Amino acid sequence: MQREMGMITPRRRPASLLALTFLAALMLTGGITVYADTSALEMTRQFVNQALQIMANKQLPVANRTSQLRAVLEPHFDFREMARQSLGPHWRELTQAQRQDFSNVFKDFIESAYLSKINDYSGQQVQFLQQTSLGPGFVQVHSTIVQAGKAPIPINYLLDQKDDSWKIYDVTVDNISIIQNYRNQFNRVINDNGFDKLLADLKAKQQQLALPQAS
Amino acid sequence: MTLSGSHDIMWGSALTGGPKKSVKTKTILAAAAACMMAWTARAALADEQGPPHPPEESAQVYSDPLAPFNERMFWFNLKLDHYVLHPVARGYAAIAPTPVREAVDRFFSNVNFIPRFANNLFQLRMADAGTELARFGINTTVGVVGLFDPADHWFGLKQHNNDMGLTLGYYGVPQGPYLVLPFLGPGTIRDTVGYAADGAMWPLPYFVPWYVSLPTGAGKAIVEAVNFRSLHLDLFEQVDRYAVDLYGAVQDGYMQRRASQLRRLRE
Repeated sequence: MQREMGMITPRRRPASLLALTFLAALMLTGGITVYADTSALEMTRQFVNQALQIMANKQLPVANRTSQLRAVLEPHFDFREMARQSLGPHWRELTQAQRQDFSNVFKDFIESAYLSKINDYSGQQVQFLQQTSLGPGFVQVHSTIVQAGKAPIPINYLLDQKDDSWKIYDVTVDNISIIQNYRNQFNRVINDNGFDKLLADLKAKQQQLALPQAS
Repeated sequence: MTLSGSHDIMWGSALTGGPKKSVKTKTILAAAAACMMAWTARAALADEQGPPHPPEESAQVYSDPLAPFNERMFWFNLKLDHYVLHPVARGYAAIAPTPVREAVDRFFSNVNFIPRFANNLFQLRMADAGTELARFGINTTVGVVGLFDPADHWFGLKQHNNDMGLTLGYYGVPQGPYLVLPFLGPGTIRDTVGYAADGAMWPLPYFVPWYVSLPTGAGKAIVEAVNFRSLHLDLFEQVDRYAVDLYGAVQDGYMQRRASQLRRLRE
């Protein structure tokens, strides 16, 4: 970006006009879809603010906050899609029953992981920036966590459209995809020890994460 | 002569859309345009879905041909951290207050400016290289040998991290297999070569005999590692808490982080 600063030409206006005409032509031919739609962004913003409010309400006992948070997050995640993507190519090798088993265990695991962070929030500001298209039916919502004296952390939500609403199927923290990270872990466990071992490991980890937290 | 003339007429009418345009030319043009559009749309889609990662069940998993070696090194490093680095860092953190350790971190960051500067230069990122040079000048003098960062606080000059592994990647060198080394941790073949090249930019060995530079270098590496760990005492524990397969979590974290750094440089 900074390198382009040296390339400013004196004849700037005609160039930008040309670009504009070109852009207009492209839009007319349907080459570019312009995203004025921010429904996914608004949905995510609402959900995150709701969740943070519950987390910040430290007067309430942890158990109550946990059940509140669970109720808030449940409708906003596409757990089935998460489970499918976290297995990568292995999903196709599973029977319907195995897929269902795995989806259930993975859902519990993600929920427990999320809920185990209930005491980690200490008033950081979250800013929602924009949403970008990832193709038909998929968007990415960009946000950052702003902390005084520290570098901001970009957090992006990937959503897909299911039953007329947007649902989160992945989150990236500092550009590292959580689902991709589990995909690599699960792939290794399945290749080394098989699917049943993965299911058992995942259950064990979930139970560990679900242990009651101190207030 | 006649042949070239007829060509001229054909291309001329096709381009200007003149009345002489035959049905066949029209069809070909339309087909070509459709192909072009489909191709650009596909490219745009692939491009958009590529970096953040595609909504595909068959998305990438890494091949790891050196896994048997890597896993042994990984567990060695883990033990080293558990029994030596982490306890030492914890003890050090108990004695030295955070602002002091952050100043030490800035000091090392300043001292290590040469590879950052050089690699920004290698990638023709002149503005970033210039910023690095200015930062070094300001922070070494006004910032008291780099303990403070007035370049950022007063002049808004941010650090632009870069290294030879990224330079090689920037110019298309493939990353090669994942490689975990004792003491150094996760990497790839490309990043290991880069690390060695960056290390060769450390100036001390060119000015003092080896029996001075070697212990100094080792001491620097140790203090740097302890200081870094003391500032991130639960970094690793956080990863462990949520990992089902720790090796896989660290491997993918490393690969995704490097890929994202490289993407940013190519933007």
